[in-house]
Amino acid sequence: MVALVLWTFVMLGWMAATRLPAIAKARLPKDAGERTADLATMLPKQIQWKADNYNHLMEQPTLFYALAGVMALADAGTGFNLVLAWIYVASRVVHSFVHATTNIVLVRFSIFAIGSLCLLVMAVRAALIVF
Amino acid sequence: MNAEILQPIALLVAWSMVVWLWMYATRIPAMQRANIDAKNMIGGSGADLKAVLPPTVQWKADNYNHLMEQPTVFYAAAFTLALLGMGNGFNATLAWVYVGFRIIHSLVQVLVNRVIVRFALHFLGTIPLIMLATHALFTAFGFHTFGVAH
Repeated sequence: MVALVLWTFVMLGWMAATRLPAIAKARLPKDAGERTADLATMLPKQIQWKADNYNHLMEQPTLFYALAGVMALADAGTGFNLVLAWIYVASRVVHSFVHATTNIVLVRFSIFAIGSLCLLVMAVRAALIVF
Repeated sequence: MNAEILQPIALLVAWSMVVWLWMYATRIPAMQRANIDAKNMIGGSGADLKAVLPPTVQWKADNYNHLMEQPTVFYAAAFTLALLGMGNGFNATLAWVYVGFRIIHSLVQVLVNRVIVRFALHFLGTIPLIMLATHALFTAFGFHTFGVAH
């Protein structure tokens, strides 16, 4: 859990490190970015990829945190469940690298699917534990 | 520790993964029908598909995304209550009501998507969430005078 949160901050740093100089370079109007998503159309797309991934890290991983929390509280956060959690986190880190650099969709999709299947197994196991 | 509130948490996550499967099961065939060359695609995001796929396909994805929005507040409130030893009784019931509304909300959005029905379900589901959030807040700050089972 902590590893994935820390990774999220790495992506935040990566996003900021590329986007802030790009904003300076782009000479945007004063009201640009009142809605941050509007920046997507104003900056180079490679810059936006980092932001896209940062946003994604606040989507599906929230399910992971909930499952990991359930397992930890139910004293089931060890063994195979822990292995699944590490596989999920690893898949998200690799997914971030692909998304932020080459962004080949098929590769991104495949890694995401592997991580999601891992999460699906965790969800079933968590349900079996608490019910 | 085995708080009752862990059950609705686990169920809502499992339900989210069901919607994820539902999304893929409808979206991947729709992408093939639309002749999208996914093999050589660089960049882009799931949101781009909105413009090219039928709305009924997009509804599944919209709901999947929604399940990662407001429910994060539910998870935070529910875990706060569980960790403070207040995840049983009335709070667990409220959590079940919330999860029940989210599941019905999903079915409506994914299948018929009548906005007034969806809105009503979302609104009603938010009420138990507000109650959970309030209980979590009061419990965390040490007020136990809510008549909630300890």
